[in-house]
Formats: sequence, structure tokens, C-alpha cells
Amino acid sequence: MISRRNFFTIVTLMFALFFLCMGTNNLKDWLNDYTVNTYTDTAEDYPSKINMYIPESAASGEAAEEETDGGTEERALYASRDRVVLIGDEDGIYGKAAKEWALYTRRKIAGYGTLSSYEGEVEEGDWPEMLVIDSRCVDWEQEGEVEFLTQCVEQGTHLIFCNLPDVSIIKKDQQVRNLLGIQKVEAEEATAAGLHLYSGFLLGGERVYLPEEDKEKDNKKDATDREERIVFPGETDASGRPVFPWYLLASGTKAYMKGIPEDPSVDTEDYPVLIWRKSFGTAYVFAVNGGYMEGIEGIGLLSAMSAEMYPYEIYPVVNAQNMVFTGYPSLADENGAEMEQYYGRSVKDLFQEVIWPNIQAVLNKYQYKATCMLTPQFDYSDDAPPDKEQLEYYLKIFNEASAEIGLSGLSVSDTSLRRKLEEDGRFIEEAIGGYEFSSFYAGNLPEEDVETALEADLLSSVMTVVRDYEKGDLRIIDFLSEYVTSQRVFDIGLDYDYKSDFLVKCLETALGYLNISFDMERVAYPDGKEDVWEKVSITFGTTADTYGNTFRDFDRTTVSECDIRIRRFLALQYTDSRAGDTVQINISEADGSRWFVLRTHNEKIKELEGGSWKRLEKGAYLIEADSEEVVITLAPEDVRFYR
Amino acid sequence: MSMKMLTLLQIGGVLAAYLSVSLLAPGLLLRRRFAGIRTSVRWMAYFMCGNFYIMNLVYLLELLHISYGPTLILGSLLPFAVVAVTRFRKTFTLSLVRGTRRLRLISEGEMGIKTQMYQAGKNLQRMSSGLLGQRMSAYWPDLILALNIVMLVFYIYGSNVLNVYGYCASDIIVHNYWINELGNNNIFVEGIYPFGFHNVIYYLHAVFSIPTFVLLRVFCVVQTLMIHLILLAFLRAVCKSKYAPYLGMILYTIGGFFSQATYDRFCASLPQEFGMMFIFPAAYFAIAFFRERGFGIQARSKFNLTMFAISISMTLAVHFYDTIIAGLFCVGIAVGFCFRCLRWSYLRRIALAGIIGILLAVLPMGAAYMMGAPLEESLYWGMSVMTSSGEEDTGEENVKDAEEEAGNAPAGSDEKPAISIRQRLQPVLYKVKVYVACEKDEVLWFMLGSIAALLLLGMLWLVLGRREYGGTLVSIAVFMLLLVVLQGAVDLGLPQLIEISRCAIYLAYGLGAVWGLAVDAFLFLLFQRKKAIHRASFATLVAACVALAVTGIKTPVKMGGGETNDAVICMSNIYRENRDGGTWTICSADDERQMMRDYGNHYELIDFLREMEDLKSDASITVPTKTVYFFVEKVPLFADNENYGRKISVEGAQSALPKGKDTLSLYAGDARWVVMSRLYFWAQAFRRLYPNEMEVYYETDDFVCYRVQQNEYSLYNFAIDYGYNRTG
Repeated sequence: MISRRNFFTIVTLMFALFFLCMGTNNLKDWLNDYTVNTYTDTAEDYPSKINMYIPESAASGEAAEEETDGGTEERALYASRDRVVLIGDEDGIYGKAAKEWALYTRRKIAGYGTLSSYEGEVEEGDWPEMLVIDSRCVDWEQEGEVEFLTQCVEQGTHLIFCNLPDVSIIKKDQQVRNLLGIQKVEAEEATAAGLHLYSGFLLGGERVYLPEEDKEKDNKKDATDREERIVFPGETDASGRPVFPWYLLASGTKAYMKGIPEDPSVDTEDYPVLIWRKSFGTAYVFAVNGGYMEGIEGIGLLSAMSAEMYPYEIYPVVNAQNMVFTGYPSLADENGAEMEQYYGRSVKDLFQEVIWPNIQAVLNKYQYKATCMLTPQFDYSDDAPPDKEQLEYYLKIFNEASAEIGLSGLSVSDTSLRRKLEEDGRFIEEAIGGYEFSSFYAGNLPEEDVETALEADLLSSVMTVVRDYEKGDLRIIDFLSEYVTSQRVFDIGLDYDYKSDFLVKCLETALGYLNISFDMERVAYPDGKEDVWEKVSITFGTTADTYGNTFRDFDRTTVSECDIRIRRFLALQYTDSRAGDTVQINISEADGSRWFVLRTHNEKIKELEGGSWKRLEKGAYLIEADSEEVVITLAPEDVRFYR
Repeated sequence: MSMKMLTLLQIGGVLAAYLSVSLLAPGLLLRRRFAGIRTSVRWMAYFMCGNFYIMNLVYLLELLHISYGPTLILGSLLPFAVVAVTRFRKTFTLSLVRGTRRLRLISEGEMGIKTQMYQAGKNLQRMSSGLLGQRMSAYWPDLILALNIVMLVFYIYGSNVLNVYGYCASDIIVHNYWINELGNNNIFVEGIYPFGFHNVIYYLHAVFSIPTFVLLRVFCVVQTLMIHLILLAFLRAVCKSKYAPYLGMILYTIGGFFSQATYDRFCASLPQEFGMMFIFPAAYFAIAFFRERGFGIQARSKFNLTMFAISISMTLAVHFYDTIIAGLFCVGIAVGFCFRCLRWSYLRRIALAGIIGILLAVLPMGAAYMMGAPLEESLYWGMSVMTSSGEEDTGEENVKDAEEEAGNAPAGSDEKPAISIRQRLQPVLYKVKVYVACEKDEVLWFMLGSIAALLLLGMLWLVLGRREYGGTLVSIAVFMLLLVVLQGAVDLGLPQLIEISRCAIYLAYGLGAVWGLAVDAFLFLLFQRKKAIHRASFATLVAACVALAVTGIKTPVKMGGGETNDAVICMSNIYRENRDGGTWTICSADDERQMMRDYGNHYELIDFLREMEDLKSDASITVPTKTVYFFVEKVPLFADNENYGRKISVEGAQSALPKGKDTLSLYAGDARWVVMSRLYFWAQAFRRLYPNEMEVYYETDDFVCYRVQQNEYSLYNFAIDYGYNRTG
């Protein structure tokens, strides 16, 4: 017989358990304000296009020396670090890279079509910080031009050769070889089995780009499969292998990247050099052999070279790492036949039960935040409508996982963007009564289409447009309109290769920025077995693991969070100076955090006032500036224990 | 951390390591076998056994080419295993059960942790009260006084090690090389040489993982301490009074009346000085053997003979000079104990023990000789000293001075007048005065008087019927007289067995024993009762201390190092920073090649500079290690007197690089100045090319070390035009 007291206790316990199991879940559900986009903000509160930093003309040099308290001598030493002269086509691939880099690092830049045109205008005593040279714009046959370049070096102007003159010129002209630090030409053309990028140059450390089968020949078939996918950065031959002239370096040089010859008997010392510098005591000559500066990589390489030129280098970065899942989620049961063939389940089931747990596990492991570009349906011409419950479900779980939902502007059908947006708007209105998107994925849509699309009601709250990176367009981050930013995304998430790895390292070095997209439409509409999630998820894991580990100290953001950082980055104006062990950064109109990368040599940060810092790797620090004045005290990297 | 503190810790570590294997381990093993023997004698016996075992273990493993840390440790544990097997052969199971009883009780839950801790506490309490109270009560005065001796030795000889970090003798680096080669099982790398000292250092290096260069830097303090403590133990074993030995020790250790040559070499870890530890034990065990009347107690005479053989063996295994001195001591003992030595039963035993001892030492060297190893060059040098007139050792000036002082050789006179004994003795005494007695007549006569007094007292005690005691005194007195004769052997027309300056070291060392024993013998004449003589000896000790305090004591020894302190500090830092396996190279003009051979690489500075002397466009100097250090002396060492303190300069860099192969001459005087000047300006030029890559690692007013960290896959070419090399 149970007593009343015991009965009461049991009932109380049951209620408590019930509340704990069910109540909290319901409470969480009830408190989940999923219909409100937490990433929506008012664009007017943040810097807009009008605030964007615009470099002054640098056609003539101006002394940038400023007097501050103490350390005038040191200041004078680094004050000339602000004027770049481009020798080459301003709209060429190198010219664009140089201009973008100058914009990002707040340097003035002046362009000259040829070296002789610059030589004619240069004034004595008015030497720039560096010349960025497209060697095609130098008349190597003219002895005077090489002499002029030598004179520039003697006057303390660094030379950066984005590409090299023809090997025949180098072979016959000792003066050119001396200038470039080449001892001899081993071969006019060599094909490499791989590349070796040394640590301390680009952020992310050392990398050996060598096909797997060269490292291990255990599984020949797999190795061949992998080899087919390998894409090397730079110039390659028909088989995709790097190809370049084989130079051996003279004394006073330092190599940053070398090719790995196919002949294993070659000494490491004699490997062909790809990126190196020659020191003249007064200035450096950097040389790039093999097209590695063509494209966005040029910006990163310029940052890395600049860091090598000085005892310290400080430059602003965006500090944002995004993972964008385009076409995810999709809410309609589409492409049924293929889905049944490859997965044995519908798109909805695949996305919800297979892909999302995978994504979430990877995101959690590497602390990434997801930006999911919603596609209510891929195909607007079929009869499969999007599922409202699915939308609700995804909004809830994304809200819980701090993922951002943007809207994708792409579809697989020939539906116009306008109609797609109308249908999407109608669906969302019916499903959840409307939603304010802060980001929009435009893929590779033309800029005019995007601008038109932004006029739609559904996209009225959009602050940033995510667009695919196109080779040749080096403006990674920019303002699309007065209040809307544009950020380029790299569709390399499901295709890890050496070229993209090199590109990412360059991007991270220059901007601390990584925006990788994972094209989920490819999974929903596979072209073959290679596109099924089972296969591409391996690459997805590799991508996340490689970049997640290598650049773990940069902040993980969604595209809307990144948007704010881009606005601040583009509007940033700053100066830096050094007196003794103290580096000072003065920021104009500092509103919110700004990030900088500090590169040092044999020095580390001892303390920092006006912000915080993280060590990225040896000699590289990420600085978060919270105030207008940041004071960094440096100390030697290591001190002697025994004195 | 300061380098001083590091050195202090290193001395402590090396002392602990050495004593644990040379004293503690034999003590644990042999304490039952040596029970009943006087503490000082037992102490000497343990020490002899420990050293003997280490030396011969290394010899054995080296000749078998299996000498490594693990095999040495196994070899060290072998005697313990043998004893354990012998002892517990029949009762092993029972002993195991007994030994693990407590563990069993705990594991079976019969004994709780509280009971266990309580019992352990009680045991500890019982042991400590017994050890510190009853057992140690008789030793406290000795311990305190011995500790004082230890402190004085540290003060006199240790301070130099704390202030000068380089090797204080030029030949240590050669020994360093030989010890390094032991690590490759390549004994007698440059020919046959007594390797006892090297074996011990190598053993400490291999077993305790102490770097050889650290051992060679600080072991001199340890060995000097042991040299003193062995003499103390000897005196404690032969003296009647308790405190007279300390008097002798204190006079020897801090008495300021010795020439510096008699103790300079204690600042360096050298074999000859290491071998001094075995001379007095050899003498003691021979004396102890002769002091026995008949052979009633067989075990004791065997013990003495065995220890004598071991000690003699070690003198020879370490340095021939020590054997010569031990041999002279044996002659002294033979004279002092002639009443027993001439008896065949004594003579054949002691002779046999001596021969066995010598054979034991010669055996490994003989084995190597049979296998084709040649004799080491310094042995030929030693023999040449023995056969030489001795003039190069003494210096013609000294001889001339002595002769002039003696008044028998007027300047410019070629005639050779008849020389009387007194006249012959004059140069001998002069040499003793110069080399031992600090060039003071009163000290000379005090020393000689002490020896004479000891001889007289010994003879008196012989007459008084205390033959063993008297014989001991006479033995030592005769030995000392022989050393005096050896000091001036050339002047007496005898072969110079030992280099004269080194002979002085033994003579001074023996004087400590002379003074202790002379006082002891005198007090024993006055006081026959044990307590009275102890008190009187204590009073004499106090008086001597006061007298020393008034007259002044020896100042701590100061010796220059073979390289700058800064270089050693750098090396210590480099060693510490690269312990995790970083590869590195030092480019210098010093001894780092051997000092750091097991840990890094060395690039000979003169080779480095010569390779870029006639610089061609394709010249290449690469160093295949991650880090390269360059040691530059801004004020070069080993400068001539007129150029002392001269700094490196453009003038030096403009001079031609020295020629030749002999690094001693290449790195001394002007040559070193040129080399250092060149290196400095090379470093400046290289730093202009690589400002971010070449950094100042360590710098003082006199020294700078540059560090270049390079990519091992793409090495820097160090061959550059630095403005002073010829370019082609």
C-alpha cells in the first residue's frame, strides 16, 4: 500500500522528469525565433561606399614622414613604405593585382606602360618604395634599362618581377643574370613533378605539392585517379605538370618556392627555383618564374614579398573565414529518378538526413559557421513544389547552429531570375509570413542582373551579395552599390587541388579572407558517380580539414558578419610607425574592431595596448584593434637562457 | 639563469654522479665484506674499487666494441646481480616472499594505507635517530672538519671554474677528442695511451648523459676535491691524533707558501692530476701490509695487497707520471720498512701484488698493441723528457741564476771548477725554491726542515720501539726526499723522470702529509693518552688556523680559458635550445669541434675564410644545417703581449689570411686577429644581404655570436664578396 506522502513524491518526480524531457525541448522550440534573421542589420549603421578608402595619385612622390613622439629616426627608416610604381599595363593581370594590393595595403600606386616611360619621368631623389614590373614592358635589349633597374636597386627601390624575361635573354646577358641573382641557366625548359613552397613566406606554412603516386606507389589505380584531378598553380604543360625554365641561383639569394624535378637524383640544392629574391644590401629584387602572380595569387605574393623587405610589416586584413553552401537547403522533391539511382532517397531526405549531419560535424570540429544559400527549388519547371515544413525545420536548426540563411539566385531551369524571386517570395510568405534575407548568392550572374534582382522586395534587406570568383577579376571584395557589398566566393569546396590550395594561401596572406563555396546543386543534380555525396563529402572533409587546421586562428564568420568586416576594411585608414621596440598603429575613424596582420623577423609581440592579438605562426600575428591607437611592444623571438 | 649558477649545478650534478658510482655503489656492494675496517681506509677501498671497476669495464667493452650507455649500465649492475645470486641462491623464493610481504599485505587488503604510512614513518624515525644520533656521534667532528676542507677546496679551486668557463689547459681538447671517440667504440684513436681518466669521463657521459664538454669543464673541481679528501683519508688512517691530519690538509689547501705551478693544473680536468688520487691509497695499503706483524690475519693482508695492486694499477692506467711517483713512494716504504721488506715473505707478496697491478693496467694497452695500435705521440715526448738534460724544462736562465746564486759560476766563465756536494745541491734547492717554495728561502727551509723533522721523528719512533709508526714516518720522509732529488735530478746527474714543473705538484702535495704526520709524531711524543693527544692536536689545529689567518691564505686560483666565457655561454645556450633535435653548426676558431661533436657540427673558421678567398662567380659555401652560428671575438684571444686587448679592425681584415695547417699558430697572435677581423667584416657584409635572416644571437663588448637560420631545402650560399677577399 503506497502512502500519500510517497505518492506525492512520485508524482512530483514524474512531473519534474516530464518537464526536463519535454518542457525544455518545447521551451527551446518556443524561444527559437527562427523567422527573424539574426544577421539582418541596417546597412546605414556601417561604412558604405562613400566611406571607402581611395588612394591618392602617386605619380609624384611625397615624403610621408611624420613626426610623432620619439623615434623620429626609426620613423624615417620606414616612412617611404607607401609608393609603388607599376611598370606594365594597368589593366593587365599584373597591373590589376598590383593595384588591388596597393588599395588593400593603403599604398599609393602609379602606373607606367614601359620602363623607359618611367625612366623619363623619374626625378633624382624621388625613388619609390618598389617597382612592380611586368618584364614584357622592359626592353631588355637596351643596356640602359638594365642599368636603370640596377640604379633603382642601388637607390633602395625594391624590384618585383611578376614574370621573367625570355630565357634566351637571361642566358646571354650577364647583367640581367646579376640583377635577378641567377648563376646559370640549367635548362631552358623543365617539367617538374611537383612544387615545394617553403615556410615563412605565405601564411599557412610549408607545402609540398607532389602527386600522391610520387610519394607512395602502393595503390596504382587510386594514384592514377588522383593524378587526373591534380591541378598545379602556375604555368603547366599539356599534362598539367608545372613547366618553367630551370635556373640556379647565385649567392645573396633566398628561395621561397622551388620545383621538384622528375629526376630524383637531382640534389635538393639544384632544384629549379620559382620564386626567389636577390639581395643587394640596399634593396631586394624579387623574381617569379612561371606565372604564379597571374590572378588573385599575385596579391598574396606581393604581401609576402613586402613582409620580406622590412624588419616588420603591418597591413590590414578582413579576418573572415566563410563556408557557403550554395543551393542548400532545397525544399522540393526533385530529380527523383537520378536521386533514386544514386542515393535511393529523395533530395529532401538526402539533404536533411545525410548531408546536414555531415556538415554539422565538420563545422563543429573546425568551429566554422555555415552560410546556407536557400534554394526553395532547383527546378521551377517541374510539378514538385517546395515543402513549407522543411523550410520551417531548416530555419529552426540553422538558427540553433548559428548558421546564416541567404537566398540563392540560381536554378537549373530556364526560369528568369525575376520569376524565381517572385515564386520564392510567394512561397516564403505563405510558409512563414516572410523573411528578411541579408545575403544573396548570385553565382556568376551579370552585375546588371544582380542589381535588378536586388530591387525585388524579397531582397530589399540584402546587405551583401556573394558572387563566384572569375579569373581575371581581382576585386575580391567591393561595394556593389552604395550600401551593398560584393564578396567573391571560391567554388573550391568540393574540388580540393594544389592550385586552389596555393590560391587560398595567397588570399589568406593578403586579406585573411577565405570564402569557400560548396555547390550542393551538383549533389542534387549529379553528372555522374563522381558527384555523389559519398565521393564529394571526402573532398569536403579534406577542404575543411586542410584550411580549418592551417588557418585556425582567423575568425569564422557568416557572409553577413563578413560583410561588416569588409565594410570596415574598405573604409579603414591607418598609419603605422616604429620607434625602438614599439610599433604604433593610428587608425582614423575607428568604429568597431579592425584587424591587421603583423609580420616580423625574429621578433614576437610582448604586449599590446588598444586591442588584442593572436599568433598565427612564427613571425605572423593577427591583431585586433579596438581603439584608434594601438601600441605593440615587440621583443626578440627567443632570449638566451644562460647569460 | 646565470652561467655561474649553471656551473654550480653542473658541479653538483657531476659530483653526485661520480660519487654515486665510485663510492656509493661499491659501498653498498662491499659494506659487509669490508666491515670492521677503519672508516677512512674503507672509504679509500670503496673509492679504489669503484674507479677500478669503471675503468676496466669501459676498457673491456671498448675492446669488445660494445661500449654504449645500456651496456655500461648493465655492466655496472652486474656485480650487484652476482652478489644477489650468490647471496640468495638458496633462499631466493623465501627472500622474494619476505621482500614482497608488505606488498602482498597491501594488495590482499590486510594492511591499510594508514598502517603502511604509520609504519614507514616509524621506520624513518628510527633510522634517522639512529643514523644522526648514536651511529654518527663519533663522526661529527670529522664530518664538520672534512666539510670545511671541502669548502676550502671549492673556494680555492672552484671559483675559477665559476668564473672561467673554457678549458683551462690546451691539451684538454685532445682528451675531449679521445673521449668522444670512445663513444664510437674507437679506443686509442691516436695510439696507445693510459685511458683510465678518459674511461671514467666517458662512463659518466654515457651513463648519466652529461655532455662531455660539461664534464671536462667542471670535473677538475670534483677530482681536486677527491685528491684532497684522499690525502685526508690517508692521514686519518696513519696518524695517531684525530686533528693533525686536518692541520696538514689546511696548510696544504690554503697555505699561501706554494708556488702557483704546484696547483695551477688543478683548474683543469687532466689525467695526471686525476691519477694523483691513487698514489696515497697505494702507499697506504703497502704501508698497512708492512705494518702487519706476520700473516696471522690472512684476510686483512690479502685485502691490503689487493687494494695495493688495484691502486698501483690505476696510477698506471691513468698517467705514467703517477706510477713513477707511486714507485718512488714504494722505494720510500721499502726504506722505512726495511726491517720487513727485506724478509722474503713480505717482499715476494708485495712485489707480486705490484706486478699484478701493473699487468692489470698494461693488459688493455698490451691487447691493443698486439692488435696493431701504435703508441701515442705524447708517450714519446714523455720518454724524451726522461732522457733529456732537462734544460728545456727548467730554462737556462734558472740554471744560470742558481749557479750565480750558488757563486760557483761567474758570468762569462767557461772553466768548470770542481763541484762539491754542497755546490751540487745548490741548484736542486734553487729549483725547489722556485717551483715549490714560492721563491722564498724561509719557506724552502720550512719545507725541507719539515721533511727532516719527520725523518728524525720517524727514526726516533723506530728507536723507541714503535716500528710500524716510525716506519711509516720514515717512508714518507724518504719519499719526500726522493721527490726533492727528482726535482733537481738533472743537476745531480740523474735522469729527469718527470717534467720539473709537474714534479713540483707532487712535492707540494706530499708536504701536506709531511706536516700532518710531523705534528702528529711530535704530539705523540708528548702525549701518549688518546684523549690528550686529540686535544693537543685540536689546539695545534686551531693555532695553525690562526697563524694562517694572520699570515694570509692562498688566494683562489685564477687561470685563463682556452676560449672566451662568451663562447661557452653561447654553446650552453645552443645546446639547450637544440636539444629537441635541431641541426646546427658552429663556425669558430675554437674547440667547439670536439666540445659539441655529439650534438652539432663545426666549421673550421680558417677553412671558411679560405674557401671564399679567391672568390669565383660560381663559388659556393653551404652549411647543411638549419642553424649556423658564427663566433666572432671582437677582442681576439691569445694576443701577443704588445697587442693585448687589440680589437679587430679594418687593418686586420686587410691583412692576408694566415697560411699553414697548424691551428695552434693559425689562431694565435696576429693570425687570430686577422682571422677574427675578416670574419667580422664578412658577417657585416652578409648581414647587409640578409638583414632579417642573420641576427645577433649573443653580444658583449668583446664577443659577438651571429645566428643564421636557413631553410634546409634551400641553403644560403655563404661565399660572398665582403670587401677583403679577392674576387675572381
